[in-house]
Order: sequence, then structure tokens, then C-alpha cells
Amino acid sequence: MIDFLNHFLLFTLAGIGMLLVPLAIGRLVRPRLPSPEKDAIYECGEPTIGSSYVQFDLRFYVVALLFIIFDVEVAFFFPWAMVYGNAMQLADGNLGDEARRTLTNRLLTAPGEVGQEITADAAHWLGVTGLIDILVFFGVLLVGFAYVWKRGDLDWVRAVANAPTSADRS
Amino acid sequence: METGWQAAGDLETTMIPSLAEATIRSFLDGAIGNAGWASLLAAVVHVALVAGFFGVPAGIFIWAERKISARIQDRLGPTRVGGRFGWLQAPADGLKLLQKEDLAPKAADQILFPMAPYIVVVSSLAAFMFLPFSDGWIAVSLDIGLYLMLAVMSLEVIGVILAGYSSGSKWALFGAMREAAQMVSYEIPMAICVVIPVVAAGSLNLNEIGALQGGWLGNWLIFHDPFTFATFFVYFVCATASCKRAPFDLAEAESELVAGFLTEYSGFRWSFFFLAEYASMFAVCGIATLLFLGGWHTGIPGLDESVQGLRGSSASWPLSWLANVLGFGVFFVKSSLLVCVQIWVRWTLPRLRIDQVMMTCLKYLVPISCTLFLGAVIWPLVLSATTGKTTLLGEPLGERAAPALEIQADTTMTGREGDLP
Repeated sequence: MIDFLNHFLLFTLAGIGMLLVPLAIGRLVRPRLPSPEKDAIYECGEPTIGSSYVQFDLRFYVVALLFIIFDVEVAFFFPWAMVYGNAMQLADGNLGDEARRTLTNRLLTAPGEVGQEITADAAHWLGVTGLIDILVFFGVLLVGFAYVWKRGDLDWVRAVANAPTSADRS
Repeated sequence: METGWQAAGDLETTMIPSLAEATIRSFLDGAIGNAGWASLLAAVVHVALVAGFFGVPAGIFIWAERKISARIQDRLGPTRVGGRFGWLQAPADGLKLLQKEDLAPKAADQILFPMAPYIVVVSSLAAFMFLPFSDGWIAVSLDIGLYLMLAVMSLEVIGVILAGYSSGSKWALFGAMREAAQMVSYEIPMAICVVIPVVAAGSLNLNEIGALQGGWLGNWLIFHDPFTFATFFVYFVCATASCKRAPFDLAEAESELVAGFLTEYSGFRWSFFFLAEYASMFAVCGIATLLFLGGWHTGIPGLDESVQGLRGSSASWPLSWLANVLGFGVFFVKSSLLVCVQIWVRWTLPRLRIDQVMMTCLKYLVPISCTLFLGAVIWPLVLSATTGKTTLLGEPLGERAAPALEIQADTTMTGREGDLP
């Protein structure tokens, strides 16, 4: 863990340094001639109107909500996928004894006694159980996704499509 | 960290010093005599190496993009800088940008505006920490390496939002919001696509996943089952979009948003957004190479075995080093070809509209990747119920996964004590 933190700290510092050092060197050679025109923000030559901290569309909020729900879900897929993948490798009847022992030890955190390897049959049923687990877990999300889709929240131009047009009003 | 098995149980201690690190560390242990300092120095060496891998390919791809785009548009591209082919164009551009005035608009946030490129560069550099360039050539080999790499890479979006929000410009704000919506949306199918090869490999350790794809071409995970084959292409589309490359480069859509979140940036700060983008392209293509295309393996067992034969049993350094250099060459060629495909796509397809981009993701890629995920999960179970095997062709995947695992366990047990020959 110390190693990882060492690395992470050093990579962060290196990333900062990669930008900071050239910028510091550049300070010696680059001009610095500010003018009101240069300090203004760019809006294609037009004078700007109002602050740029405007409200933006609520659609982005829906996207962010979808992302959070899906991403939390997928984060739980990763450990499951490891166990399931291991079980499926063990479920192969042609697997040699030595490989079976190694993979059993990877699946179980403590090494089993020799001769207590997970059999292909047991691994198959572990896989079936895992599949039912993930179907329930994933199914809940997919039902929600289908509901959001049906409601039309995935349509980017929904607001425009449903807005009353001048033709409707007249 | 005394034995491999204890390590396997505890996520915190599953740090596996790679071969490169183990040799650097044991060398430094002898010279310095303090394990802590040796480990720190080894980390410094890694940072220097990986920063090279970060900068040099990015420079090459910037040049390649200019040449390829020029050829596609019937132009010549850079021809003069550095003699023939203009191969020094990227460093020359860097030098030019260094001399440009460092502008920040008055309306911009004076702290967040200069900070944004740092976040982008750090997150995209730190992702390389977990990428194995060759068997064991990896700065930090973790049993959750793939997961962490994706997590660190997705931090880039924070820098993008910050850049757009702090610019004080409406173009930049709109560009950043679009970019954020796009990047987070495409992360969903991308993450699901990444889980699919993990279901086959049973591991999140990128080095292990690479190692178990040795042997014939058919052993690459892309050919493992029909679902991984389809997944590769879905992953590649998502990866292109998450690097904000055309046809998904909505954030920098010149025709409607000037330059998106980059509008107010100039000079060197601006160039680092691009360097990070090209480095991210290499990183996502590197993940694709490792997960689907056999990593550092050529796909021809004879060739791979003779390279691995260089390594030998005694792991004498010049030969094992040479084996790794050759492995790195194979990995680099594969990843670079994928990057070239991204460049090719950029200059061939027109840009999508924002609603088309979001619809492609939410209404096509997400359902497709969910279907592929379920298919890839059910496939081995159906095979095992009907035929008793879990792979359609060839030997069981476990036969290759177990040796890959044992290599890892060996370095775990011996590398830490520094008792390599």
C-alpha cells in the first residue's frame, strides 16, 4: 500500500511538474502585454451581454442521474465478474489438476487441502447461483431503465417536441 | 505480504512488485540499504519512464494525425521541420506555444482557470501507472488495476468541467456541460464492455489478463466467444467517444461552439489539454489491446516462445530486458494501430449533433452492451451444461490462467524480499 501511495503521490507531482516547469520557463520568454480587448472573453467579436454563469438545461441533470445509478451498479459488477469468471474456468471438465488447484486457491482466500479442489460440477452450480444473483441485481436496473425510456426521459429534444407550438395555440 | 496466499486474501496488500520494479528495487536495496528509500527511488524511476511513455507517443500521434489527415485531404502535411516528413513538428509546435502569451480573461476565475489543465494532465498521466507495457513492465501491479485505471481516467471530466465553468465564457460553459454529459454517458457502456473480458479472464489484474492470452491467435480474448468479439467494437466506439474524439467531439465543435471549453485557453496551457487527449487515446487503446487483442503476444506461439526463451529461468537482466522490449514493441504496434483507426475515423466521418450523440449512447450502446454482457455471462454456463467445457475451441482457459497467476504469485513472494538472483 505504501508503494501504491508513493507512486500515486509521485505521479501527481510529476503531472503537475510537467506543466509547471515549462510554464515557469515560458515566463522568461513570453510577452505579457495585457489590454482590455485581450482580457475580455471571446464571443466572436460581439460585446458580451450579461454574466456567463447562466442557468442551463435540466436535461443534463437527468443524464447525471442516469450515470450515477448505472455506474454504481457497474462498480458492483467487477468483483462479481472476477468470481464468476473463476468459477467458469473451474467448471471446465477438461481442466488439469494443477491448474484446478491454483484456480481453487484464487477463488477461496485460504488454500484448500490437496484433493479438496472445487469440482467442475460444483463450479457449474456456483456459476448458476451467480447468474441468478446478477439477473436479479441487473434486472431491477433494467426495469428502471425501461421505465425511463418509456417515459421519454432519454429523448434529448423532448422539451422542444412537447412544447406548445404557435400552431397549437392558434 | 509474507506469502502469496495471505496477499491474495487482502486487497490492501495485493501489491505485486513487477519484474522491472523488483530488479530496480533489489539493485537499489544493495546500494542504499534502506528498503523504504529504495522503494521511493524505484517509484521515481517509474515516474520518469512512464512520463516518457506519456509524452513521446502523444507527440508521435500528434504528428501522425497531421500527416494522416493531410493525406486523407490530399495535402502533404508537415514536410520541413526536422528534415524529411516533418517529424519534428510536434516539438517545434511545443516550442512555439511556449513563447505565446499566457492569457486569462478578466471574467475568469483566477484560481480554477489555471488549475484545470493540471487536473486533466494528472489524471491522464496517473492512468498510465496501471498499464502494463510488457509482461511485468508496469509501475503498480494491483489486483484491481483495471478498475483503478478506469476510475483515474474518468477524473479527467472534472478538469474539463472546471475549465469550462471557470472561463467565464458562455461558449466554454456550454462546451463543458456537453462534454460532461457525453463523457459520463459513454462511461456506462464502456464499463460494461470492460466487464465482459473480465468475466472470461476472472481477473482484474491487467498483467494477468495480458499473460493468459499467449499461444495461438485464437487465445486472444476477442476470439473467446462471439460476445467478446462484438464487445471489442462497442468498446472501441465508447473509448473514442470518451476521449472526445470525432465524430463525438461535440465539446470542441468549432462550427457551433468556437472551441468549447478550450475557447479561453491559449499557449502552453491549451496545448496540455491536447497532450492529455492524445495520451488518453493511447491509454484506452492500450486497454483494448490488453483486454481483447492479446497484449504483448504476437499470436504465433513459436515467436512468443522464442521471445520468452530469452527470459530464461535465471532471469539474467540483459536478456529478460530484451524480451520485455520486444513485448513492448508488439504492444505498442497494436495500440498504435488502434490509435490510427481513431485518427482515420476522425477525418472520415462528419460530426454528430448533440442529440444524436446522446441517443447513440443511451438508446443504442447501453442496450447493446447490456445484451452482450448477459450473453457473455450465459455463454460459458450453457456450454458447460451441454458439452462439459466452457470454451468452444482449444484448451480450457483455466490452463492458461493458472500459469499467469503463478507468475504473479512468484513475484509477490520473492520480489518483496529482494532476493532475485
